[in-house]
Amino acid sequence: MGLSTVVISVVHGVLWGIILGAASTGLTLLWGVMKVVNVAHGEILLIGSYLIVILYAFLGLSPYIGLLASLALGLITGLAIYWGMLHKLVGKVEKVTLKIEMSTLLIMFALSVALSNSYYHFIGSEPKGLGLWHFGLKSSIDIGSVVVRTNSILAAIVAVIIVAALHLLLTRTTLGKSIRAVMQDAQAASLVGINPVRIKMLTTMIAIGVTTLSGFLIVLHETAIIPGTALIYTPLAFVIVVLGGLGNVLGSFIGGIIIGLIYGLSKAIIALTFNPLASAPLALSTAFIVLILVLLFKPEGLFGR
Amino acid sequence: MSKATLLSVKSITKKFGGLVALNNVNITVYEGEILGLIGPNGAGKTTLFNVISGVYKPEGGRVFFDSVDITRKPPHQITRMGIARTHQIVKPFNEMTVLENTMIGALFGRLASRITMGEARKKALETLEFVGLIDNADAPASKLTLHEKKTLELARALAAEPKLLLLDEELAGLNPKEIEESLNLIKQAKDEKELTIIMVEHVMHAVMNIAERIVVLHHGEKIAEGTPMEIANTPRVIEAYLGEKELALKFVKKLKPQK
Amino acid sequence: MGSAKGTVKSYIGKPTPILILALTITVVFARIFNVATLDTLVIFTYFITIAASLNIIMGFAGYVSFGQCVFLGIGAYIYALSIYYVPWMNTLQKIGGEGIIIVGLFASSIAALVAAVVGAVVLRLRGAFFAIATIGLDFAAMYIVMGIVPFINPEQFYGAQVILPSHCLVDKSATFTAMLITMITVLVTNYLIKRSKFGMGLVSIREDEDAAEVMGVPTARYKTLAYTVSALFTALAGAIFYLNGGGVYSEAFDLAHTVDMIVMIVIGGLGTVLGPLIGGVIYYWLYDTLLIHYPGVNLIILGIIVALIILFAPEGVVGILRKYEVRGVRLREILE
Repeated sequence: MGLSTVVISVVHGVLWGIILGAASTGLTLLWGVMKVVNVAHGEILLIGSYLIVILYAFLGLSPYIGLLASLALGLITGLAIYWGMLHKLVGKVEKVTLKIEMSTLLIMFALSVALSNSYYHFIGSEPKGLGLWHFGLKSSIDIGSVVVRTNSILAAIVAVIIVAALHLLLTRTTLGKSIRAVMQDAQAASLVGINPVRIKMLTTMIAIGVTTLSGFLIVLHETAIIPGTALIYTPLAFVIVVLGGLGNVLGSFIGGIIIGLIYGLSKAIIALTFNPLASAPLALSTAFIVLILVLLFKPEGLFGR
Repeated sequence: MSKATLLSVKSITKKFGGLVALNNVNITVYEGEILGLIGPNGAGKTTLFNVISGVYKPEGGRVFFDSVDITRKPPHQITRMGIARTHQIVKPFNEMTVLENTMIGALFGRLASRITMGEARKKALETLEFVGLIDNADAPASKLTLHEKKTLELARALAAEPKLLLLDEELAGLNPKEIEESLNLIKQAKDEKELTIIMVEHVMHAVMNIAERIVVLHHGEKIAEGTPMEIANTPRVIEAYLGEKELALKFVKKLKPQK
Repeated sequence: MGSAKGTVKSYIGKPTPILILALTITVVFARIFNVATLDTLVIFTYFITIAASLNIIMGFAGYVSFGQCVFLGIGAYIYALSIYYVPWMNTLQKIGGEGIIIVGLFASSIAALVAAVVGAVVLRLRGAFFAIATIGLDFAAMYIVMGIVPFINPEQFYGAQVILPSHCLVDKSATFTAMLITMITVLVTNYLIKRSKFGMGLVSIREDEDAAEVMGVPTARYKTLAYTVSALFTALAGAIFYLNGGGVYSEAFDLAHTVDMIVMIVIGGLGTVLGPLIGGVIYYWLYDTLLIHYPGVNLIILGIIVALIILFAPEGVVGILRKYEVRGVRLREILE
């Protein structure tokens, strides 16, 4: 019985980890390329989640359309965030100092306050979800002795596609190469003819776009979301980004899987040795202890030089 | 000139990854002298300063100051023992005033354990008077010109009442008139405050003029040591650094009489 | 321009007009903004206290302790559990404001100890890394509390809450007295730090930590001390505030509390003595007015206002005012 508890917990943990990994890539881009500390990450994820839910529940539109709409809305939101908030702070700056970095943190927090209270006010604190929609398939799938919800598995598959697409964008296209050039050295990049302002704007759009897109994954995995859902995803995304190394998209993805694995494993162990009721919070606390340890001993991330 | 040893750097080796920045460097500094430290870019001069002031911990070797081993001490303790330094790239505390900047030097310098706020303030004002920044005492440090910022670096270091002063390219980026002023200030400080000075300098005529002895670093190794005249005549130095011998000698000859 | 010796007056050893000014402002604003009931007075003084607490590490030393609310939570939980389960502590806190402070100091000393131990390690990180690490600390502590407290306090198993029974509650005037004493103490502490060698060392760390260390500032020790003092007052405020509320639950670890603190300091002026006070007054007024006139959207508007302040007035009220002179006396000298 003990072993199967562990297996079930780990499988669920890893599936969640894959989703977390994909949902954290936008954060790593913003922080790595632009030194913007996006503490509104969770709330921005929920922009996508809520859009999909609203289109589905109120307008009867398929979540597939919602998926595209959330990407589009994310790109537009990214554009607005860049010109409305970030350009003045980091747009023309070649070397982002600690003070500027802190200003980005504060302004993104202001955004998170405004967004999360908008959710409470305009949408409400009741759980919202896609109800019985699960890609037109059975609601759950048996893998051996483990029963997994269809939506979690498909969300994980979509997560892998998102990460692969973003990785290809960054490594195979001129735009992606320019973004990585700016990340490494904005000054040198501008010397070879890259316009850093344009790249920063596009980076913000892509980062926010991929984040709202990942909102789809969250709503599928969580079944139902509330405004407070953001409060779990923001700090976990930071854990994952630090683990993967700033600006490292694949690193974040793997970091997400590691955190999911640690969560699943420690949850099972705590449930078996202490008390199942305490297992979820204590397992989450291990993720944050991992964060502090990585920051102290390997601040460049697990895959850094 | 007394010949008591103030600082001795013994077989210091410092590596950054695979790069050897300092390789078995030995230098002795005597009380009351000005030692010039020269060498091409990347020779390891600033690295050596960082080792002496405790910012870097070397892989091998020892640094003794006043016969005390300071190799593993943190920078703030070394400063309290009486070594002050300036930075090549000025690092003023921008939002503090010039006076406050200088007070930090006095408060945490060699007299740190017994100086009061009032005394530190008096010390800072005296130092600003001495270096000629007194009119800017109330200005935020960020408002100063480059020359003034360089002078502020010097004032902060002097306010610490050091025995040994490390000057890192104090003259870089200044125009000839400013160089002249700064050189006079350094000489005056040395005489009045009985300082020992090590100066890293690229402005060659200046260092040839002011230093009593010179050490040449090249690729992290000491390749020569001696009086300015001896250095200017050492073939290896001329090859590595000074360019043509004629030119180097001309510098020394031209500038000596100006003293 | 005249001699600097004349214009830079010696502010060391002078009486403390700033404090008198501070108290006057508090009282006057409390009346103007109709802070009437004891409950609102507690909230009002609590706001200023937590802002001034965070100012010590964030304003002076420049370390953005984003997870500062962890100390609110630790202080509040230890206090509530202490008076709930230790009868003599409950008796002690019942004697009034002083009693609350004494028991509160027990709770906040533990929080300060946590800060000293964690700080000695985490303060090696700079900038966003430090901020993120403190968020990690906050969440780690919150989830540990959520996992453990139900077993310490099994009577109220769900929600990791400690609801205080009536025999543990105290008079609101006592909690207000305790909070007021705490507020005045933390403001005085801010003032004394700003005027001291320690304070100058902290500001030099904020401006350029490497240069400060090379100039002789014992940066590691100073940062840890500032973090510890900051945690002590934050925890004390948390203990009193949640006692006033009648109990504590995991919401005490909500990052929104840090936002309150940061917003107040940013509005008032980072690293100034009067900044947290002025910021606290304005924030309370804003908070109250928006709540009354725009219920529901009040916090949305607040978020937008904060964003505008960061973009267009990053120095805060004190930062703007200090540039001006009144009759030759620089406001900078009075305000800081």
